[in-house]
Amino acid sequence: MSRIIDTGLRDLSAILYRMGGLAHHAVLKATIECIEGKEAHEEIREMADMLVAMADHVEDKAFELIARFQPVASDLRTIKSYMKIAYDFARFGRYALDISSINKQVGGLKGCEEWINSYVKEMSEKTLEMVKLSIESLKSHNIQIAEKISEKEKEVDRMYFEFLDELIKCGTTIKCAVSSVLIVRYLERIADHVTYICESIIYIATGQKKILR
Amino acid sequence: MVVKFDVQNLNAWFGSKHVLKNINMKIEENAVTAIIGPSGCGKTTFIRCLNRMHEITPGARVSGKVIFNGVNIYDNGVDPVMVRRKIGMIFQKPNPFPMMSIYDNVAIGLKLNGVRDKKILDAAVRRSLELVNLWDEVKDDLKKSGASLSGGQQQRLCIARALVVEPEVLLMDEPCSALDPIATAKIEALIRELARNYTIIIVTHNMQQAARVSDYTAFLYFGELVEYGPTEQIFENPKHELTEKYLTGKFG
Repeated sequence: MSRIIDTGLRDLSAILYRMGGLAHHAVLKATIECIEGKEAHEEIREMADMLVAMADHVEDKAFELIARFQPVASDLRTIKSYMKIAYDFARFGRYALDISSINKQVGGLKGCEEWINSYVKEMSEKTLEMVKLSIESLKSHNIQIAEKISEKEKEVDRMYFEFLDELIKCGTTIKCAVSSVLIVRYLERIADHVTYICESIIYIATGQKKILR
Repeated sequence: MVVKFDVQNLNAWFGSKHVLKNINMKIEENAVTAIIGPSGCGKTTFIRCLNRMHEITPGARVSGKVIFNGVNIYDNGVDPVMVRRKIGMIFQKPNPFPMMSIYDNVAIGLKLNGVRDKKILDAAVRRSLELVNLWDEVKDDLKKSGASLSGGQQQRLCIARALVVEPEVLLMDEPCSALDPIATAKIEALIRELARNYTIIIVTHNMQQAARVSDYTAFLYFGELVEYGPTEQIFENPKHELTEKYLTGKFG
């Protein structure tokens, strides 16, 4: 027999999956915009605003479930974690908008050295893969995927610092330096939030507050 | 943790029906321990074993030890009446003696123990009624019948009646199930107050009540102690799948 609260929990997870997809799309668009110079700022702004609205909606729904059902045990852990994950996805939208602003404000990576562009591209692919994995782990509550995320986050972290070293050694124009550093910085932040999401998934499934960073 | 009860291999039967199976549990002094579980899981039987009330039922039997203040209450030579004096009990339905006044309902425990001095009785009745936050409500009506009070007041009167003989433990069997939410909130606040000086063990079907009032929660299922731990752990992160299923209503 299904419980009344299950309908509400299913609604919440459906919103989260949509948020995950949208957040991934926004970050992808923003990095392409910066690397290839394809203008997409307004579109990304809309996605970012939408993600914030959806996170607010998740929070309201979660509060309603708490008020109605006084959930405990895994229900309570799920609701608390869904609120956190919704916030993390909303942050992806914000970072996507920030990356997109680099193109608008500083000029992006158009015309920069080939190695810089390919480095940023590789790092963005790694970060986006992490975002995908977190969504997959969320859908299946698969904690093996979630636990593996910390290696990937370490790799993104390593790339971030390596990039800074390389950039100082090689030198470039101020436009390219500022654009690329800001982009990799935001990507590194996104990777961090992916690990928070995975920590939340592990918490839902096991009750353990594991630190993956 | 100061252990008030050390329950060791406790088994209980009604005739051939084995209702408690090998319960091992240490219960902390001056804390609230909630016993939860589905109907018929042995909650009430369990607390009735803690003050030797179970054996009153014809055909009922107990084995194992309940060590209370270092003494096994089932040892030969232990007087069950003395045990029950130290371990009071509150029931589901408020049951003041209907033909007695409010005053006598509280004083009766002392009178039966031979206290006759009016001053001592007055002071004890007042102290008990104050402990349950009922004094201000009834001080001008002490001669009225206990049955004239509201349900919530009657239940607090019963708690005062239990407290007057200065027990160390209060066993509460669904003390709020016949009360409205406001009376329930008063009893729950009272339970927390009393826990400063008394050890309280409460049986409840209302899981939110267990979550609100208790320091420890024990989950019984078909006579077995499935899980026992700090209330916040049981309600946030139960270790046992059965506990999780019971708390979230995933049974059946």
